[in-house]
Amino acid sequence: MAAGWADKQDNELLALIQDGNGHAFAVLVERHTDRFYRLAYRYLQNKAGAEDVVQDAFLKLWENPALWQPQRNSKFTTWFYRIVVNLCLDQRKKKKPEVLDNDALVADDRATADELMMREQEQKMMEREIAALPDRQRTALNLCFDEGLTNQEAAEVMGVNLKALQSLIMRAKTTLKERLKA
Amino acid sequence: MSDNRDEKLETLLRSRRIEPASSDLTQRIILKAQRTPQIKTPPFWQLVRDLFGEFHLPKPAYVLASALVLGVVIGFSAPQETHLAVDDSGVSIQGFLSADEALL
Repeated sequence: MAAGWADKQDNELLALIQDGNGHAFAVLVERHTDRFYRLAYRYLQNKAGAEDVVQDAFLKLWENPALWQPQRNSKFTTWFYRIVVNLCLDQRKKKKPEVLDNDALVADDRATADELMMREQEQKMMEREIAALPDRQRTALNLCFDEGLTNQEAAEVMGVNLKALQSLIMRAKTTLKERLKA
Repeated sequence: MSDNRDEKLETLLRSRRIEPASSDLTQRIILKAQRTPQIKTPPFWQLVRDLFGEFHLPKPAYVLASALVLGVVIGFSAPQETHLAVDDSGVSIQGFLSADEALL
């Protein structure tokens, strides 16, 4: 029975959720929470905020499953990324992002203390610069580099064409290079 | 040089670290959903009925609205040129009388 549920495609689970099936919802949440949390965390740089966003997004889906329209959306994850990104943008408007603390970074045992410190500095600087990018450039970077989406998938999530997405990534990288060099 | 910078940036971008989510996040979402009722989209005819239900008015309001509508309809159906011609330009009232009566 458990294997049966795990084998179900997202679309099948969503159809069951629309019939009020809580088990299908649980399977979908277990399958995708980490991926959407990562994206939310990238935006908000804040664990509690990212968890809230993911929770709100899933509850929104549960409360109103008719939001998912299979005939209009090809893939659940593409559609849901969009929801999560919008919620993150809303939350960022309400509240300034917090600076990542040292404790939040996971230590790498293989590196020496100096290397580790330098890497942490670089990471912090990078996060700060990414946070300062315009929303669309940041979204493009997050989707392509962190989520490992193809450019085409990321373009779909953002509702832009492929060329526009590539241009956003290029501009973001140019800005980052300039700022990190300075 | 530029390639080096590109490479370094790519590496930094790919190695961004993240604070892991709480281990109970999924359970929290599932439990919260269990306590949240779903909004069921009503069928089309139900929506139409509800829409008309929104327009229930008290009876005096119907009377007033009907009177206003009637007044507007009557007002617009009245002839536009209701003024009397004050210039007589040579046409007397007798001119409209039939020839026989004029002779009288």
